Amino acid sequence: MSQPDLQPEPTANPAGSGAPRGIDPRSPRFGAGITALLLLVDLFLALVGAATGAFALLLVIALLFAWGAFAGVRRHPYGVLYRRLVRPRLSPPTELEDPAPPTFAQAVGLIVTALGLLLALVGVPFAVPVAAGLAFVAAFLNSVFGYCIGCQLYLLLVRARLIRRGAAA
Amino acid sequence: MENPGVTSPPVNGLLALGILLALVAAATAAGLVWRATTGRARTTRSGQVVHAEEVGADAFGDRATLLQFSTEFCAPCRSTARVLGAAADEVDGVRHVDVDLTHRPDLASRFGVLQTPTTLVLDAAGAVRARIGGAARPDDVRTTLDRILGSHDVAA
Repeated sequence: MSQPDLQPEPTANPAGSGAPRGIDPRSPRFGAGITALLLLVDLFLALVGAATGAFALLLVIALLFAWGAFAGVRRHPYGVLYRRLVRPRLSPPTELEDPAPPTFAQAVGLIVTALGLLLALVGVPFAVPVAAGLAFVAAFLNSVFGYCIGCQLYLLLVRARLIRRGAAA
Repeated sequence: MENPGVTSPPVNGLLALGILLALVAAATAAGLVWRATTGRARTTRSGQVVHAEEVGADAFGDRATLLQFSTEFCAPCRSTARVLGAAADEVDGVRHVDVDLTHRPDLASRFGVLQTPTTLVLDAAGAVRARIGGAARPDDVRTTLDRILGSHDVAA
């Protein structure tokens, strides 16, 4: 009933030393902050008519989402940046977090931005700014307020019976 | 991409900055509302009764049950499990039951669960007395348990 408590890793950087039991929950929020800033810049470019620049930046952001979604948030550049530059300046985390929820959030970001890019390619107007705006709101809420997108979206997929794992109960 | 004007008609820089500011303000407002309301216990009078076997649990608590719905892609579900587990350990006759909805979408539909974690506070008879959407707050959990256990003692 009461699950075993996750003990914080020793302050030594566990990178490369096998699979640590969890990640610092502040790491994905730090990464989401960078993502939100990039998306805001992208939205600005799209709004002032720099369509090629906006498309290219959204492509870069989508590739960064793909990195997180497929390689996992621990191997993502923002995760590395956090461990090298930010984490040493902070107190050790009070608890560690499962990397699965933030990895799911990366996959959601990838789908939204990739959809925006595809629609823009086939000529749908406002596809890039709308995708950038939606992704920005999610990344911003995640970074600033700790909002967890998987908590609602994953459940909607389950309820729509799009995700099945068998009725193990 | 050859003709930027087709995909998105340009606005001037000042208006674009205004739109960005409005978006940040709206997102901040949404975040503040979310933070103020998430995890609050709400009293329910649905009269819905839950039995342990329906949710795959061997037994419910003798006096109250904290029935938590989770999924694996839900970071606050872990902290909520610790909060509810601690409350169940502290109060006699209270049990914490954690159900993964990935395997039980029928329960999500039946109880109208739109987010995880969602916690139903059940009384001794298994009737739903309160509902907590989002990461449970320890103080709210204790207040709710005190209310349910207290009123039950009076009624009994």
